[in-house]
Amino acid sequence: MKILIPLKQVPDSTVRVKVAPDGTSVVTEGITWSISPYDEYAIEMALERKDADPSTVVAVVTVGPERSRDALRQALAMGCDEASLVTAEGAAPLAVARALAKVVAEAKPDLVLCGKQASDDDQGFVGPALAELLGWPHVATITKVVPAEGAVELWREVEGGHEVWKAPLPALATVHKSEKEPRYPSLPGIMKAKKKDIPERPLDALGVDVAAPTWTVVSMEPPPARGGGKILRDGDAKQIAERLATALRDEAKVL
Amino acid sequence: MKTLVVAERKGTELRRVTLELAAKARELGDATLVEIVSERYSPLPFVSALAQRVESEKPDLVLLGATLNGRDLGARLAARLGRAYAADVTDLRAAGNALEISKPMYAGKVRAKLRLGLPAVVSVRPGAISLKEGAAAPEVTKIEADGSAEKLTFVKLAATATTAKRVSLSEARVVVSGGRGLKGPENWHLVEQLADALGGAVGASRAVTDAGWRPNEEQVGQTGKTVTPDLYVALGISGAIQHLAGMTSSKVIVAVNKDPDADIFKIADYGVVADVFEFVPAFTEAVKKVRAS
Repeated sequence: MKILIPLKQVPDSTVRVKVAPDGTSVVTEGITWSISPYDEYAIEMALERKDADPSTVVAVVTVGPERSRDALRQALAMGCDEASLVTAEGAAPLAVARALAKVVAEAKPDLVLCGKQASDDDQGFVGPALAELLGWPHVATITKVVPAEGAVELWREVEGGHEVWKAPLPALATVHKSEKEPRYPSLPGIMKAKKKDIPERPLDALGVDVAAPTWTVVSMEPPPARGGGKILRDGDAKQIAERLATALRDEAKVL
Repeated sequence: MKTLVVAERKGTELRRVTLELAAKARELGDATLVEIVSERYSPLPFVSALAQRVESEKPDLVLLGATLNGRDLGARLAARLGRAYAADVTDLRAAGNALEISKPMYAGKVRAKLRLGLPAVVSVRPGAISLKEGAAAPEVTKIEADGSAEKLTFVKLAATATTAKRVSLSEARVVVSGGRGLKGPENWHLVEQLADALGGAVGASRAVTDAGWRPNEEQVGQTGKTVTPDLYVALGISGAIQHLAGMTSSKVIVAVNKDPDADIFKIADYGVVADVFEFVPAFTEAVKKVRAS
């Protein structure tokens, strides 16, 4: 089985993202970039399939700026077999999905796994949009994939349990979580990844329509600062508990 | 502005977020509500039915709740119709022949104001729009999901018993979350009893779901759920930046932690430096007493 994972490079989740002086973008100089967390889960899920069946081929692709090459290299170091880069700056989400649809048509994977959303814009658009452009079924926010005779069983977490869906191949799923935490690259993995070629081409070379509705940023600001809260100290647990409950009712008015 | 609201139901009741969307749609102008009827959600039959409706009614705006299914349906619908799309929006207003929306980005570390051309599809975060109590129940038109579009087969529902009777985490007005400070799953009755006393939902930090103490669906934070309740109570949670991303927009935050230097106290409105095992039972009793009086 061939599994393709479109990934996105985003500011690492430990970065304290700051709004740039222009007030419409975020500071990107000197920050650490990583594979978006849900894309990492998708990679881990695919690599777990490869662990179980070594004939599985796991490929990654990204549509993004040149720096995204590092994220692809990271995915190769984790154990992915192939990586390719479509360079684009600020492409509209639907244009990204069209570019990916082109890549899928060429690479012919059996299964496409997307992170359920990228942790920068938190949109969650590209996965379902890619399935739509391909005319494929998709299952959203899965936590498990089980192969089944020309099909896959996809486990989806819902309120109170898991729905299990059977999808004929080829199919697409968006990933909420893998069974294990995403693996760290091994040293041999890193060495091997360094030698691998990552072919690159510009978005224009794919011949897809890049005109698509998008938004314009009016402003960006940090969330309103919290703080100025109070610490309740005097008295024993029972007294503090009663003062807190009373404050929540009379002062904060949430009880 | 002409708005089509996609209604969602939990059991027999409309979800609270549907009422919030209806209120917002009425504020924007002409509002109609449709509910797609099916035994369970599946993207293709829902998108097919909804896209037909949108093409015949031609609303300027389609509004969905940013729920598990609403976000999925909205994304695929926007792609099918080639409409502008924004997910998990916290506010929206008309601005000429466009929409101005507010949307948290970078897992809540940035609040963006964006201009979105019409026609558009937008999903709105549950709890983000304030609801006036006693507003008239909206009229909902039911449409059938388009079963002929289905390519998937439903196999089964594997139920986990734990959360059956409590309110859903994303929509709860009160959330009580436990962290590593609870020391093990066997102590979760402390979290549950407090949640029940407050009429709220139970959440957990990532450390707890990763350790398998609690199911993933209860995780609050960057790779879990984002919640915006009126009251968030963090028990034995240190306040890693990834956890804060999921709950920092709560109206009132209460933190209980043994470590006075824990980061959670920096964003808490009320902090208690105490052992959770000693404090939580006392607090649960105090809440019951205050709510009864």
